[in-house]
Amino acid sequence: MALISLTGVQVAFPSRYGRICAADSVDLALDTGDRMALIGESGCGKTVLGMAVMGLLPENAHVSGTIRYGDRDLLTLPPAAMQQIRGREISMIQQNSANSLNPVMTVGEQVAESLLVHRHLSRHAAQEEVSRLLGLMGFEDPERVQGCYPHEFSGGMRERILIALALACNPRLVIADEPTAGLDAQVRLQVLNLIKNQIGDNRTLLLITHDLGAAALLCTLIAVMYAGEIIETGPLHAVLSMPKHPYTLGLIASHPSAGLHPIPGMSPPPDQLPDGCRFCPRCSAATDACRCTHPALTDTGGSRQVRCLQYD
Amino acid sequence: MNRQLIFWVSIAVLVMYIAIALAAPLIAPFGPTAITGTPLEPPGDEHLFGTNDVGQDIFAQLVFGARVTLLFGFCAALLSVLISTSVGIVIGYYGGLVDEIVSRAIDIFMPIPMFPLLIVLTTFFSPGILQISILMGVLGSIYGIRIIRSQVLSVSQTCFVEGARAIGASDIHIMSRHILPNVMPLVMVKFVSQSQHLLVMGVGLSFIGLWDTTTVDWGTMIQNAYSSGGMALGLWWWILPPGIVVIGISLALAMIGYSIEEKFNPRVGVNRL
Repeated sequence: MALISLTGVQVAFPSRYGRICAADSVDLALDTGDRMALIGESGCGKTVLGMAVMGLLPENAHVSGTIRYGDRDLLTLPPAAMQQIRGREISMIQQNSANSLNPVMTVGEQVAESLLVHRHLSRHAAQEEVSRLLGLMGFEDPERVQGCYPHEFSGGMRERILIALALACNPRLVIADEPTAGLDAQVRLQVLNLIKNQIGDNRTLLLITHDLGAAALLCTLIAVMYAGEIIETGPLHAVLSMPKHPYTLGLIASHPSAGLHPIPGMSPPPDQLPDGCRFCPRCSAATDACRCTHPALTDTGGSRQVRCLQYD
Repeated sequence: MNRQLIFWVSIAVLVMYIAIALAAPLIAPFGPTAITGTPLEPPGDEHLFGTNDVGQDIFAQLVFGARVTLLFGFCAALLSVLISTSVGIVIGYYGGLVDEIVSRAIDIFMPIPMFPLLIVLTTFFSPGILQISILMGVLGSIYGIRIIRSQVLSVSQTCFVEGARAIGASDIHIMSRHILPNVMPLVMVKFVSQSQHLLVMGVGLSFIGLWDTTTVDWGTMIQNAYSSGGMALGLWWWILPPGIVVIGISLALAMIGYSIEEKFNPRVGVNRL
């Protein structure tokens, strides 16, 4: 049985233009040990999906469908039970930004937080555990690092602290949302390798990113999102070497190593989605059928799925 | 003038006042209400600042008066800051209907000047110092709630608060461990400025006789001197000392407040001295 499975998940927000769907009819399933990359451009709904799994969407968000974790449905779970799952079972590696760590708390206290909340360790035991974790994250002198404040660290170091924070309670599912944003190439590689080693084979990873390189390095599965929908999913290498959806093709062609060929046009604003295929205004292969029929996600064999009328 | 110097001088003044208040029985040669001399004696060897119209020692009254006035000022300020901080954090963090109701209530109370409101309200309560300091603490917290709330609104949107939620921390944990420390500088500045503000206001209230007039504090001293014709008769030793000590503590607290604010908030920048 899958560790986590999303069925028909829709996340909608009320707005002055009416109801806006940030993510629509999303089906995903991850087994223990799977590492999946959720890829897409800004605004395609990948972060919203991650937040929906964590149960951290703002109050005005309306989530429907089911998110099953083990034998529980996370969407109907009472808040207190969800609090027990967050951090201990499912945790999140945050993007490193100026205020991702509390500026007035030492790093040691912040990493220890989830240990104190979930495992009720004594202060001393928590400190030892934090030292061990920071050591794993490649800090030379964990005891000294514990007493330092976030401003004393560089971006890469802060990201490693955020990883320690997410992994402190040994969660089974880790959601990483753009863990390498704002890092230079060298440090980015370092952080990605660290995540790869720490996730290992027993943990499940959902990597939310627009960085194909990071996805290729960390993941075995890929799901490509466009305008709130998953448009192609399957084993990472199969999808990247032989993409079936024109958008995936365009995404790969726009990667610097493939020559930086951008996809023409812009993704549609969420209140003006086309009736047919959501990608057809930008698609060079679009036909009249594409403009009026909304394609369903269809199995194409090899555990791959694609949402395109042209592929048959 | 050097900010640092002003700050330390003000701290020294404050410490001196507190020390005098604490050690009042050791410093004052007489009790504050004991009749120890002839009425209206000018300053001299036996009575350092002279005596009042019933022959009580003014120096002794000044020293014992410090106890009442300081205790009153700090208690009212502490209460006001406690209310502002807790209410501000809770409504700022949870938002929603409660926030809406409290904020609108604050909008209603804000434009009413505090002193006249206080005068009206004191008539409904017994004029004990405790009751009045509670009343002042509550009224004084209104503006502070707003300041703290607005800061909490911005702190609770930060990534580290979201991160704390993501590790499964409870609301109480987030409010006490993440939000409170981030609004603490504001709270400290507010406490110092509130002590000054409420202390002077308390002296004013006791001057117009709206609290227990049997206690000896600086406000009642000025009131006694004023109503017994001390001004008209030119009895400077009766009027001036309580006035000067009020100015002294008020200035010291104001300077400490400004210094802390300038330290914590670089945008204040301007030297206000």
